[in-house]
Amino acid sequence: MSGVLTAKGLNKRYGKQLAVDHINLAIQPGRIVGLIGPNGSGKTTTLKAALGLIPFEGELKVLGFDPRTQRDELMNEVCFIADVAVLPRWIRVREVIDFVEGVHPKFNRRKAKDYLAKTKLSPDMKVKEMSKGMIVQLHLAIVMSIDAKLLVLDEPTLGLDILYRKQFYQNLLEEYFDENKTIIVTTHQVEEIEHILSDLIFIREGKITLNTSMDEIGERFAEVMVSSDNYAAAKALNPIDERTVFGKTVFLFDGVPRSTLAQFGELKTPGIADLFVATMKGTYA
Amino acid sequence: MSVQWSDNSPIYRQLKDKLVGMMLDGFIKPGDALPSVRQIAAEYQLNPITVSRAFQELADEQVVEKRRGLGMYMSENARSQLLTSEKQRFMQDEWPQIAERIQRLGLNIENLLATTKGEQQ
Repeated sequence: MSGVLTAKGLNKRYGKQLAVDHINLAIQPGRIVGLIGPNGSGKTTTLKAALGLIPFEGELKVLGFDPRTQRDELMNEVCFIADVAVLPRWIRVREVIDFVEGVHPKFNRRKAKDYLAKTKLSPDMKVKEMSKGMIVQLHLAIVMSIDAKLLVLDEPTLGLDILYRKQFYQNLLEEYFDENKTIIVTTHQVEEIEHILSDLIFIREGKITLNTSMDEIGERFAEVMVSSDNYAAAKALNPIDERTVFGKTVFLFDGVPRSTLAQFGELKTPGIADLFVATMKGTYA
Repeated sequence: MSVQWSDNSPIYRQLKDKLVGMMLDGFIKPGDALPSVRQIAAEYQLNPITVSRAFQELADEQVVEKRRGLGMYMSENARSQLLTSEKQRFMQDEWPQIAERIQRLGLNIENLLATTKGEQQ
C-alpha cells in the first residue's frame, strides 16, 4: 500500500465559495502530520472529505479506499475526534462504551475501561454532567481503545486548560501512537504540537502553501538578524518576511543556503508560529 | 516537566545533551536503564523519531548500549568517555565564546578567580 492519504486535484465548493481548491497531498504511515491554517482556510473541509462526510470532486484515497464509495471499510481503520461536541448530552459513559463495542469491530473494551479508571469519569456519568476536559477524556478513551490505522483530530484540545491539553498528547504518545499508525491533527495551538509533529502542512484559502517534514524546516528556512550595514545585501537574497526588532531587521529566508546567510549573523530556525505568521500575512485583510 | 528548547540547534541534539548531562551529574548511572523512547516522547512532548535519533547518536558513541528486547542502558565506561568528549567540546565550542564574553566585559583572571574563591570559602 502506498500512502495513508493521497489526494489529487481535491476540490470542494460550498455554493460559489471554493473551500478546497485542487489540493494535492500524500501522507505516509507512521507520521504525525499537522494541518495548520487560519479559520475558514479549508482544514476541516479537507478532513471531512477524507472521512467521507461530504461529497467532493477530484481523486482521494484514504488507506486505499475511496471515502465516497467505500466508507464502511474505511471506517474500520479510522478514528476521528471532531472539534464540535458529537456525543448526545443524555448519554452515560457505560452507554457510550456499549455502543462503540456494538458498532466497531476493533474496539477493545478493556483498554477503554483501564483508561477511564485513571480519570474521574464514572460509568454512570452523563455527558451533560461533564466538563469540556472530561468529554475529551471520554473521546480519548474510546479512540485509544480502537486499533485504527489513521487518527484524525480536529482541534482536539480547543477550550481545554493546560493540564488537560498536555495530558492529551502525553496519552497519545505513550499509549497509542506507533510506527504503524498515522495521526493528522489540526490546531491553532501550534507551539504545543511543534515538536510532536513529523510533518507540517499549511493551508490557506483552500490551497496548500507549505508541505514539508519538520526536519526539512531546519534546512530550508532560516532567520537572521541583520544590522543596517548589511540590510541591502540581505534584502537582495529575497527574504520571505521581514520584521524589525530593536531597530534591527530580522529576515526570514526560504531555500537560501545557511553558508550564504552565516555572514550576516547568528542563524535561527524559525518555529511553526513564525512561519505561520510570515506566510499567512494579509489573510484577513 | 516543561522544557524550553532553543531554536539554535536540532531538538534531538538538545535532548542528547540533556541525557549526557544527566549521566555526567550521576542522575543516570552506569548500568542504569534509560527511559523508553515512548516515555521520553510523552514526557517531553516530542516526536518519537526525534527521541530515537538522540538515542541512536548515544549508541553510535557507545555511551549507551541496546539490550535486545529490554531497551537502552548506560554503558559501564560511558562516564570516562563522556568526560573526554565533553571536555573537548567545551574547549572547542564553549570556551571561545566564554573567553570572548570575558574580554568584552573587560574582566581579568584576578576578578574571576576572586569570585570563585569567595564562593568556596
